[in-house]
Amino acid sequence: MNEFAQAYLVPDGTDLQGIKDAFEGRYSVTEDEPHELIRRFYDTFDWSLYQAGTVLEELSDGSQRELIWRDLHGEAPKLAWNTDRNPGFAADLPQIPEIDRLASLVGIRRLLPLLDVHTRLISWRLLNEDGKTVARLEVEQNRYVDKGRERQGPVSVLLRLHGVKGYDDELQATARLLQEGLNLSLARAELLQEALAAAGRRPLDYSSQLDFRLDPQRRADATAKEILLHLLNTIEVNIPGTRANQDSEFLHDLRVAVRRTRSALTQIKDVFAADLVEQYKESFGWMGEFTGPVRDLDVYLLDFNAYQASLPETLRPHLEPLRDFIHAHYGAEQKALVAHLDSKRFRDLLRDWRAFLEAPVPEQSVVPNAMRPVKAVADERIWTMYKRVRKEGRAITPDSPPEDMHELRKSCKKLRYLIEFFDSLYPKQEVRQLVKLMKVLLDNLGNFQDLAVQADHLRDMAQRMREESHASTDTLLTMGVLVGHLLEHQHRAREEFAQIFATFDSEGHQALFTALFGPSKPRRKGA
Amino acid sequence: MKIIASYNIKGGVGKTATAVNLAYLSAREGNRTLIWDLDPQGAATYYFRVKPKVKGGTRALVSGHHDLDDLVKGTDFEGLDLLPADFSYRNMDLVLEDNKRPTKQLQKLLAPMAIAYDYVFLDCPPSISLVSENVFRASHALLVPMIPTTLSARTLDQLQEFLEGHDGLGKVNLMPFFSMVDRRKHLHIHLMETLPESFPTFLQASIPYASDVERMGLNRMPLPAYVPPSNPITKAYEALWAEIKAGLAKPRG
Repeated sequence: MNEFAQAYLVPDGTDLQGIKDAFEGRYSVTEDEPHELIRRFYDTFDWSLYQAGTVLEELSDGSQRELIWRDLHGEAPKLAWNTDRNPGFAADLPQIPEIDRLASLVGIRRLLPLLDVHTRLISWRLLNEDGKTVARLEVEQNRYVDKGRERQGPVSVLLRLHGVKGYDDELQATARLLQEGLNLSLARAELLQEALAAAGRRPLDYSSQLDFRLDPQRRADATAKEILLHLLNTIEVNIPGTRANQDSEFLHDLRVAVRRTRSALTQIKDVFAADLVEQYKESFGWMGEFTGPVRDLDVYLLDFNAYQASLPETLRPHLEPLRDFIHAHYGAEQKALVAHLDSKRFRDLLRDWRAFLEAPVPEQSVVPNAMRPVKAVADERIWTMYKRVRKEGRAITPDSPPEDMHELRKSCKKLRYLIEFFDSLYPKQEVRQLVKLMKVLLDNLGNFQDLAVQADHLRDMAQRMREESHASTDTLLTMGVLVGHLLEHQHRAREEFAQIFATFDSEGHQALFTALFGPSKPRRKGA
Repeated sequence: MKIIASYNIKGGVGKTATAVNLAYLSAREGNRTLIWDLDPQGAATYYFRVKPKVKGGTRALVSGHHDLDDLVKGTDFEGLDLLPADFSYRNMDLVLEDNKRPTKQLQKLLAPMAIAYDYVFLDCPPSISLVSENVFRASHALLVPMIPTTLSARTLDQLQEFLEGHDGLGKVNLMPFFSMVDRRKHLHIHLMETLPESFPTFLQASIPYASDVERMGLNRMPLPAYVPPSNPITKAYEALWAEIKAGLAKPRG
């Protein structure tokens, strides 16, 4: 019956009877019993569905709940299913065809309610002289309810015009009447967008990616504050989700922002007083530490199925007690984490840090780099760090101790963070290429180190499981096999290093680093 | 897509009420349903308050000048569409005759509709004609509403003879059932007991005579849309629809 639907915005305070009256003489209008429905919009915290141009809404009218996944501005659902439970993780979604497309967008995050829109729906049917319905109008009186922020308020009234198949002339005439006769304009925004705007929220207001647009001439200290303030916002916005453990990415993003903060503090050198840098470096180090244990367990849980699948089939069941062990200890670690987040020390730290970052920079500063243009400081810092990475990397031989690899990894991370903080100061494409290059090198170094740490950690867990008599001999042996696998992978990473570093250190890449960040000297032949 | 025709050589036996009410029940269950009012009198079209007019008339329609879908009108009921009657349908035989395979034209026209509809109901004009032969060839079920009278029994014989006498029609899924039954009449009772014995595909369900059915013309909508669900006549149509679906699902020899 619905061939076409077009939504119009009804200005605040418009008399609905006036709209109805406008059809007089042309059609008679009958009104169906009004009914109420609630739409609840869902997305992951980082807006992965919206980013992909889609919307997930739950429609409930009191009797049933239907989840509808569709394109933004699209009427037809990509997927729809009836449900009696909230969508959560990808694994909780129903096993229906094509659900994989939705699941892959959700990834490891949890679908969380964005906000609700309560709708009172009044339906009018336009009848011709035979009493035949030739078009339908739905007046949606909407209210948003943002439970998380304890806010609610009106959202613009929408008038939806639905055509009836075979009555195109009537549809066109009605559309004309609405637009020209009643001066209603088409609603360009989605209901979700309207509701978010009414609630004072912006879609895509969170991303774990850095996206600065820096002014190369601005003072380095002011720019450093801008970067650090963004990172502080990221830390703070992830705290509620971390406390409630809504999904593992809240803590992960929080930890990344903490690491980046330490890196920015120490690597954008000589822009703040040395004792302040020392103090906060220590404080953010503490944050890195107390958030570590839960993250370690998260990593095991996220990788658990892959670990299990890497084992011969007969051994797989013996790994289950490890999963139980992780779950059994998770609660205590999470509790300890929350206690830290709720501690006075933590709250004071964030408050003081924010106060410092939000304070204007002093008019004059004696700290050497503070007043220089940020571009000059960025060039120097990246160039210095690049040279260090190159030197450390070139010094590594097949016989070098793991500590050397570890040091190189730390330098690489610093270099990558520096490039990411300042990427807007450089040509986009080239910088992107270098970040990709750094990522490959870092993955290799990360595998080498993390796999060793995980193998050690597994040994520790095996020890504790034995002490708490959770583990049978079979389980311990199976964990041993897993440790063997991890060390094998680690060994492979070590073997691959030389090749990967050689690519990083190729002549072309050297030239690119030099061109972007190197000191500008007059070029001489043969130099 | 299943095509179900409501047909009888005789008029006034409840063909249109059958097609309209069954189509409504089908759509109410969530099936995408189309009803094609092939009768130039346009009673089904009238019941749905649609104007009995087809752009270009029969000739444009049969020649494939329009997509059938462009001529379809949405009814006031979710999932139920109507292809209206047109007065020019009275000459449909002549138009069909002009075509190469005159007995398979309706089948050809309906084939593309399979994407859009689960069930198509054909409300047929009375008489045996080229149009009816097209209907027989296109339909998965041929519903024959019959008032339990002697004369009706004769028309069923005539129909059977016709089907057997034409190539490829012997296997038509004939589904006669009793319509407008008045249980106070002895003759009705008697025929209802005896006639099905000679027609093994006779449906069990029957539709009683009811003034509610006659009121369809006043209300201009399918009967189950305006009588309470508990009404026995609605129940009778529901039972009939259930039996037809079961019959369509059965593999045929």
